[in-house]
Amino acid sequence: MKYLFTGGGTGGHVYPALAIADEIRQQYADAEFLYVGRRGKLESWVVPEHDYPIRFICARPFPRTSAPFALIWFVIALAIGIVQAALILLRYRPKVIVGTGGYVSAPILFAYGALAKIGLSRARVLLYEPNAHPGLLNQVAGRFAHRIGVAFEPAGRWFDMKRVAVVGYPVRRSFLELERGASRERLEIAEECKVVLAVGGSGGARVINEAVLEALPIWREAGNILLIHITGRYKGAEYDAVADTEAALSRIGLQGEVECYRRYDYADQIDDLIAAADLVICRGGAGTLTELGISATPALIVPLPSSAEDHQAINAREMERMGAAQVLYQEVAWNGIRIDSQLDGKKMAQQVLELCADEEQLRAMGQAAQAIPKRNSLELILAELDSLVAGRKPPALNLEFPQTNRGLPADPNALMRWVQNRVDEVGGVEALDRCELAYLRYQTDRLLAAEVWYEIPLGRRNVGIKLVGILHYWERLPLLLQILEDRTPVNLLRRISGGDFYHVGFLRRNVVQYGIRSLGAVDVQTRAALLQALSDDPYFEVRAWAAQVLGELFSADAEIEDGLRSALDDTSPEVVVRALAALGRIGSDPDLLDRLRRFYRHPNWQFRQGVVMALIEFVRRGVLEGGQLEHDLDKVLASTPHFRPEFTLNERLRELSELIHSNPSQSQPVSRKEVAVSNEESATEVQRQADRFRDYAASQR
Amino acid sequence: MIYYLGTYLHDTIEALSFLRLVDSISFRAILGAITSLMITILFGGRVILYFYHRGHRDIPRDYLNFEAIGNQAKTYGGGLIIAVILVSVALWSKLHSIFVLLCLGAIIWFAALGWIDDFLKVRHRSSDQGLSETAKLVLQFIYGIAFGLVYVTEAFSPLPTGLATQLYLPFFKNPVLDLSWFYIPFIAFTITAISNSVNIADGIDGLAIVPTSFVVAVFGVFAYVSSHAKISAFLIFPFMPGVGEIAVICSIVFGACLGFLWFNSYPANVIMGDTGSMALGGLLGTVAVLVKQEFLFLIVGGIFVSEALSVVIQEKIGIKWLGRRFFARSPVHHHFQQRGLADTKIVIRFWIVAGILALCGLATLKIR
Repeated sequence: MKYLFTGGGTGGHVYPALAIADEIRQQYADAEFLYVGRRGKLESWVVPEHDYPIRFICARPFPRTSAPFALIWFVIALAIGIVQAALILLRYRPKVIVGTGGYVSAPILFAYGALAKIGLSRARVLLYEPNAHPGLLNQVAGRFAHRIGVAFEPAGRWFDMKRVAVVGYPVRRSFLELERGASRERLEIAEECKVVLAVGGSGGARVINEAVLEALPIWREAGNILLIHITGRYKGAEYDAVADTEAALSRIGLQGEVECYRRYDYADQIDDLIAAADLVICRGGAGTLTELGISATPALIVPLPSSAEDHQAINAREMERMGAAQVLYQEVAWNGIRIDSQLDGKKMAQQVLELCADEEQLRAMGQAAQAIPKRNSLELILAELDSLVAGRKPPALNLEFPQTNRGLPADPNALMRWVQNRVDEVGGVEALDRCELAYLRYQTDRLLAAEVWYEIPLGRRNVGIKLVGILHYWERLPLLLQILEDRTPVNLLRRISGGDFYHVGFLRRNVVQYGIRSLGAVDVQTRAALLQALSDDPYFEVRAWAAQVLGELFSADAEIEDGLRSALDDTSPEVVVRALAALGRIGSDPDLLDRLRRFYRHPNWQFRQGVVMALIEFVRRGVLEGGQLEHDLDKVLASTPHFRPEFTLNERLRELSELIHSNPSQSQPVSRKEVAVSNEESATEVQRQADRFRDYAASQR
Repeated sequence: MIYYLGTYLHDTIEALSFLRLVDSISFRAILGAITSLMITILFGGRVILYFYHRGHRDIPRDYLNFEAIGNQAKTYGGGLIIAVILVSVALWSKLHSIFVLLCLGAIIWFAALGWIDDFLKVRHRSSDQGLSETAKLVLQFIYGIAFGLVYVTEAFSPLPTGLATQLYLPFFKNPVLDLSWFYIPFIAFTITAISNSVNIADGIDGLAIVPTSFVVAVFGVFAYVSSHAKISAFLIFPFMPGVGEIAVICSIVFGACLGFLWFNSYPANVIMGDTGSMALGGLLGTVAVLVKQEFLFLIVGGIFVSEALSVVIQEKIGIKWLGRRFFARSPVHHHFQQRGLADTKIVIRFWIVAGILALCGLATLKIR
């Protein structure tokens, strides 16, 4: 029988296909295989290693940027891919098609759909979705599949439920027969040694590689830890996994054979390595996590921030909730050119040392991990295939999918509202549970690292900055100050049109307005940054908010007062008005009066009002004596071109409506005591309203 | 209708030959203006009350806190203007003239568009939930293209042969360019831009309606000049027979605008909403194209142009692209509100500027 496998890009899509194919080959001697993948990706060399023939087609992921060309290239690539796929299908004539997701499998399924429609292909199709959140193309391709196997129940929501089966994640047979002692023996590792395995998934991971190397000296000092490091074979313009790791090793003086360190470019015996490890540092892909579960190994998960729909973080959080793993999030920092996502090696070293010291916890985590995956996944999938080939109708499945989405809203602004609600709901940031807070802060970091500051769906630095304030994320205060102070110019065209820096005006304003203000930061650096912004930021809103925040958070000193005083000469009315208010709030220098007097006849009435309000504050706080201002009263130009008309009818109406709403409902019987209390309350309420109206009327004059 | 009745009567009955007056454009224009003004003033109050009972209210966008306090003005004032204009046009103009039909088409299409927008806003109780910006632009553009096709095609065009695709500029006697088929997208752009700019300017009580009436009056004068063989020859304008009907319509709209101001003046009992502003904008655009004075709008409608520019600069260039503001708020009248000017002061200053601009526009009759 002829089988056609397709799917690829990353290990998460290739390995399930290989596991299924291996199993079929073992059970049916007459099976023929063809694998369809994309050139240059993982499958192009892993599949031949497993002795399967492979053909390549053209494919591209669905573009997530708003760049118009990306979409055009995508459409062209998809069209070419579908034609190539159709030719392969016509020539090879498979009986069964197994797609395991990744954008490579979409053209095959589309081509199949078209051929089936005109009767040129009679294949049966099984689509397998290894992630909890199917990719966009797979969601569409699911229409052409006769049967859809999902690894995790929530993924079923995106497909026609009548055809969905939950089959778990297939791992290679060898995983099921692992034994720690035997694996250690094969790898020649001593029994008492603590083994930490660092693996960045099939593609390797730069941040994990770098963090591990940073942590290595610390572990070496602690002793008794063997780090097994799988670097991956990534080779790009900026980073070469093997060469750069070698270089870093020689920098910390750990070249060649060392007791505490073993390095692999790519490990074929990953099953033995996982089994032998006491702790695995890895990404949060579904495949890795399943392998960990089956071999009962505890993990420290570093979710990939750029994973589709952030599914790695969701996976990791789920493992954390079950007590099977700990999560370590990547963090962001300003590297002089852009905000970069990194992993703090020292933090990781510490966390690993703590875990390794706690034998009990490691064992508990391992046991919790073991409970998660389905161990008979391969049998389930083969059974599905058999019933497909036999043309049996699948048993009716009645899955209940959880309606609540465990992920957060994808739109940054919705995310921010969600976080704000959540914080309000639990009653403050401090009341959030530690894991959730770490997760939300990680979301903040993801947004802060976004290249695009505004557009959906790439996330926005803008929202990230606001979230720093909402979540009281003090660790990011230095980053915010760097954003405020950074002077990297934008390109010439934008500068000519009125733009200024890479961190655009709104970002810098929000640093002051939402970040610093909500944090209530009053340290020396913040003070210096605000004063700097007040005096030389080119964008008026930044200067205005700097003035206001200086007045709100800081107490007076000569420097701040000087800064605010020179802000009175600003060209923008917003800045002057807010500087006046700030001076009123914290100013302590009676000599300021002469400077303020210059505003008495200023053409802009808002300036005059600002001065009067500042003077009121001065007299209240005793900076000035009332007597000093006695002759100033009639010097202020009092006419304004501004008034707020209010219909007296509307005033009365509002009075009536407030009375109605403030009184408790009369329909329910109330005890005498309650009546007395409520009368008292409404009496004070009426009094309060009367006061408010008097104030209001006074403010109108 | 009165035009047809008058013609019929003076043709058939000798004694009623004085009714030949209805042939005179100026006579019909003046009576048309009075008609539309009187209808609005007489029936406006009742219409407003009727809609108030039905619960139709506009939701003002919350730019400033105090704006939300007392704003009880009702939308669907636009419907009032449109109805009045349609009735008066039916009474006083030559309904078989293609000029009139094109104008009526513009009013109805854009009013329908605006009405959908208003309807969605009222339904969602939010001024951001109307018709999407793209949908609005596409629908406006569709009208522009359709109108352009009629306008440029020889068989349907109301203009003399060869004149339709000529591009005239203010201060120039002769056409500067023959755009041929490119005239269609140009027309579509012009109408879309003008319609939206009026829509944007409609932000404070009385702000949009008075400049609209000035613009319409100036275009009415230009239409009259072009339709008159002797005056057009004297002022060296292209002679376009039949375009005088535009003058009648402009005059009727002028009357309706003044009637609307009766109720819309600060503090407003009624506001025109998108229904009114889009319909008036679409009509202005169509008229500007029909009298071949598209660029005159840049001068006469300077208020609308600056309002639209302020929005483009603030929203598209500033906020979306550069991440900063250029004005305190946009459109520019909100900027002045933010700077502390009272609404009435802003409105009347805008009227003064609009008046001066209208005079400048009229000056181009002779200075060319």
